[in-house]
Amino acid sequence: MDRQSPLDGNAAGGALRELFALDVTAAEIICDGCGAVAEIGAVPAYGGAMGAIVRCAHCDTVMLRLSHTPAGLWLDMRGTRRLFIAAPA
Amino acid sequence: MLEIKSPRRLQWMTAEVREVVGETPRVRSLVLEVPDWPGHRAGQHVDVRLTAEDGYQAQRSYSIASAPAAGRVTLTVERIAEGEVSPYLAGEARPGDKFELRGPIGGYFVWTPDLGGPLFLVAGGSGVVPLMAMLRQRAAAMSTVPATLLYSSRTQADIIYRAELERLAGQGGLTVVHTLTRERPAGWRGFTRRIDRAMLESVGYPPGAHPGIFVCGPTPLVEAAARALRDIGHEPHLIKTERFGPTGS
Repeated sequence: MDRQSPLDGNAAGGALRELFALDVTAAEIICDGCGAVAEIGAVPAYGGAMGAIVRCAHCDTVMLRLSHTPAGLWLDMRGTRRLFIAAPA
Repeated sequence: MLEIKSPRRLQWMTAEVREVVGETPRVRSLVLEVPDWPGHRAGQHVDVRLTAEDGYQAQRSYSIASAPAAGRVTLTVERIAEGEVSPYLAGEARPGDKFELRGPIGGYFVWTPDLGGPLFLVAGGSGVVPLMAMLRQRAAAMSTVPATLLYSSRTQADIIYRAELERLAGQGGLTVVHTLTRERPAGWRGFTRRIDRAMLESVGYPPGAHPGIFVCGPTPLVEAAARALRDIGHEPHLIKTERFGPTGS
């Protein structure tokens, strides 16, 4: 698959692993805009060499923005109320 | 306390093409040797990075097609005309070529035999790739979990893994149902329309069987199928989806 258009949080997994020690595609993310709860892998997102953008499927709020710049790595999570990572079964 | 077992930073690794398999006129599989490959779970993907001589880099994600194995990973790539990476992977890459790859990535769209079943897989076009990894792992583990693949392709010639799917279905416990959206070949016994609610209802398992459902394909197919599956009464948390670009099926 050649993912070239905004897709879902599965595609953002690689970019997010540059920052998070764990794979967060199965993590629950709660939108600060509307309170919707979803797994990151299931919501609209973009991921690529420039970073990742994760949006709320219900209200389109940008929940998470990770960007690579020459100066460094930026993480903006203003749109995220909470992130929950379950303990391994 | 969440225990992180030997956290491994996701690092770029070198992959060497060992074998190239033509699947359809637009799709090829690349068998890669990745010495540091730790193994993976079916449904996960990798990021591939190509670097041009002038330093320009292009990066894309590709689903893993193979069952988990140390040191080896197979990608199946569809050539996208305007793509930056797929024309190389699906067209030019030759045995001996090397490029960078990192992974495995993803913890959401994954299946392992211990998750049980039944397993209902719904694919559009090259969306069959991560689902094939699940079927290959199911076969490798000699799992008896009932499984059904509903697979939408444009034409008969566009069906990826057609012979292998026939062989796997012959081994029992797996049902493979095809639908074609742009062709009605003489003697064709599958469906000839887009995946819809009636098809999902007749091919899949009833909601009471609590099947694990994985849907992968172009965004419109995935969203229509996921909606229909919820309407049929399948529990939303059992429906996992993975969308990719508008390459259609």
